[in-house]
Amino acid sequence: MTASDLLRVLRERKGTALSVTLHVLVIGWGLMTFSTRSMEALPEEDVIPVDISVDQTTKMTAGVKNGKKENPKPLVEKVAEAKPVDEPVGKIDKKEVVTSTSTPDPPPKPVEKPIEKKPDPKPEAKKEEPKQAEKKPDEKANDPIAEALKNEAKKPPKQEAKAAPPQPPKPKQERVFDQSKIAALLDKRDPSRQAVTGDVINPNAALGTRTGNANAMVATWHSAFVSAVKRCFNFPYNGQDADQFEVDIDVQMRPDGTVAAPPAIVAVRGPSKTIGTALGESARRAIEQCQSYAFLPKAQYDSWKLIQMTFGLKDLL
Amino acid sequence: MSKVPVVTRRRFMMATGSAFAALGVRSAWGQGRLKINPDEFQPMPIAIPAFVPGTPADGQAGADVAGVITNNLKRSGLFAPIDPAAFIDRITNSDDPPRFANWKQINAQALVVGRVTRQGDGRLKAEFRLWDVGTGQQLDGQSYVTSPEYWRRISHIISDRIYERLTGEKGYFDSRIVFIDESGSAERRIKRLALMDQDGANVRYLTKGADLVITPRFSPSTQEITYMEFGQGDPRVYLYNIETGQREIVGNFPGMSFAPRFSPDGQRIIMSLQQGGNANLFVMDLRSKSMTRLTDTPAIDTAPSYAPDGSRLCFESDRGGKPQIYVMAANGGAAQRISFGDGTYSTPVWSPRGDYIAFTKQAGGQFAIGIMKPDGSGERILTSGFHNEGPTFAPNGRVVMFFRDPGGNSGPSLFTVDVTGRNEQREPTPGYASDPAWSPLLS
Repeated sequence: MTASDLLRVLRERKGTALSVTLHVLVIGWGLMTFSTRSMEALPEEDVIPVDISVDQTTKMTAGVKNGKKENPKPLVEKVAEAKPVDEPVGKIDKKEVVTSTSTPDPPPKPVEKPIEKKPDPKPEAKKEEPKQAEKKPDEKANDPIAEALKNEAKKPPKQEAKAAPPQPPKPKQERVFDQSKIAALLDKRDPSRQAVTGDVINPNAALGTRTGNANAMVATWHSAFVSAVKRCFNFPYNGQDADQFEVDIDVQMRPDGTVAAPPAIVAVRGPSKTIGTALGESARRAIEQCQSYAFLPKAQYDSWKLIQMTFGLKDLL
Repeated sequence: MSKVPVVTRRRFMMATGSAFAALGVRSAWGQGRLKINPDEFQPMPIAIPAFVPGTPADGQAGADVAGVITNNLKRSGLFAPIDPAAFIDRITNSDDPPRFANWKQINAQALVVGRVTRQGDGRLKAEFRLWDVGTGQQLDGQSYVTSPEYWRRISHIISDRIYERLTGEKGYFDSRIVFIDESGSAERRIKRLALMDQDGANVRYLTKGADLVITPRFSPSTQEITYMEFGQGDPRVYLYNIETGQREIVGNFPGMSFAPRFSPDGQRIIMSLQQGGNANLFVMDLRSKSMTRLTDTPAIDTAPSYAPDGSRLCFESDRGGKPQIYVMAANGGAAQRISFGDGTYSTPVWSPRGDYIAFTKQAGGQFAIGIMKPDGSGERILTSGFHNEGPTFAPNGRVVMFFRDPGGNSGPSLFTVDVTGRNEQREPTPGYASDPAWSPLLS
């Protein structure tokens, strides 16, 4: 076997390896993305706040495709709780602007002029240097490593392009304070915040408006509920074996966020039955004392109709 | 050459395997429960209004009983009695269900109500109910009748009931402390054997201070105390009956006897006997007066303490060169060293729960009080300083009392700390105090 044969085999196997690696990445990504649905029910409160998956974000930001153009209101699934915030008037204003779908327009206007100037230097910088980089890679043709290098080579030009803009400070000057522009910027945030809740329930989606995805936000109430119960959970025990005690408790909830029946102690674990029982009673007291849990989203009642909890003393020591 | 595909395959397996593993774990989490673990220990808010007087003359007694209970629970560090000034409701009849909303409003999780009545026969009747403020359920209720002078004892018993009901553990309030009361200058210190309630009340002096007494220890019966006294001759171990005031020498043998302690059944006393420059452990049967040698080493074996089941004992020995803690069978035999940290270890005492051995540790010019498991693992220093010594466990094994001497012209004081090292508190004593020993529960 000659050296060239060896190289050929190596290239072939490199190709195989690359193929397998890419498959692994794709399958792995698929599995991880798919599995994020189960994270919605993740009980670990530490993990929940971080549990914002691409899936959820996509759902939240996705526009409605089958709505009516003439429907001006954003989709509202439930009535917002009356908060002592003095912005109701402002909210209404914002909604009006949002539903007119004119929000994207204001920002471009002030940028229109600079765009004419900016594109000139940017494309030039981008085009020129990438071309230089492309010339070399062309020789290597199908080599994936070379392609990767090529991709990397593309990045520096961007930095250079970014470095270049200092010259056109004029466009920045054009960002003169304009009340109408500020209002437009503020309005951009409105749909994502107000789409799910509002002062009036509006189940009819307008074309392109945010869809209500309250049901996809299961994870959020977990941590809120845990911290609410934790406020009242106060078991007077400081033994060094505290971390060995655990109590499972099931709670039947009413739609209004109150406890429907005395919380049921399902299981008690620990070196002492009496201490475990006292722990369970203490946990039960905490659940009852801290109610009602009115913040629980009514639209997701099915997900918290029965709340299963495990109380422990793990972090006490 | 052949490495490339092998590595790739392995990576593939690892990648897919970990992906499946991640999926499995997340599925399990998805079906799991909401975990609630408090971030830090917080004492439980509890309201203890003055007990309702059964007759107008019982008002002070009602306030006093509630005061003792409040003090006990507060000192335990597990409860946070709410200041009565914050109460927005009054208990006028301890038999009526309280208006829980008013107690919930001040964040009380538990409520203790009671009544104290001086009966026609002169005896005192104390009743209490423990309420769960959140659920409105009565958790406990009991009434006691006793001579009026024992009102503190009733308060301690009620405190224990509350403690046990809410923590699941036995309490330790209905117990006493025997200690050495010290008075006079540092050069001419008078040491008396003294007895008091665990909260520092009802101090009684058992000796007059003519002879030096040290290391008092309670019998499980709580009626007797054994201690060492420097009398006219050699220091000897004595037995003292609290009720009758009688005392007797334990055994009659040449040389010094010291560091006595009762066996858990109260039938035997284990102690050290001096033999030349050495000291060995002996146990004496109090009925037959027979002595049994447990150790025979050219070293100083002392400070023996039985495990609560009586099967083993721990003691201090310098057989390895410097004082360390050893554990051996109660009838002697091979001893196993369990202390291996820096410095020296002394005065070991086995917890009534059996889970820990407390000790005095001397290292780096500091005296520390610590605990370790009977196998020597899990050593934990509870407090450290210029001089801390002589640990003794509360009857429930959750609190350790010891004495601390700041040095100089002042004298020692008693302190308590729980076995986690939290809630260190000074024990009230009339003067300087050392060598405490906690009694078992009186009831």
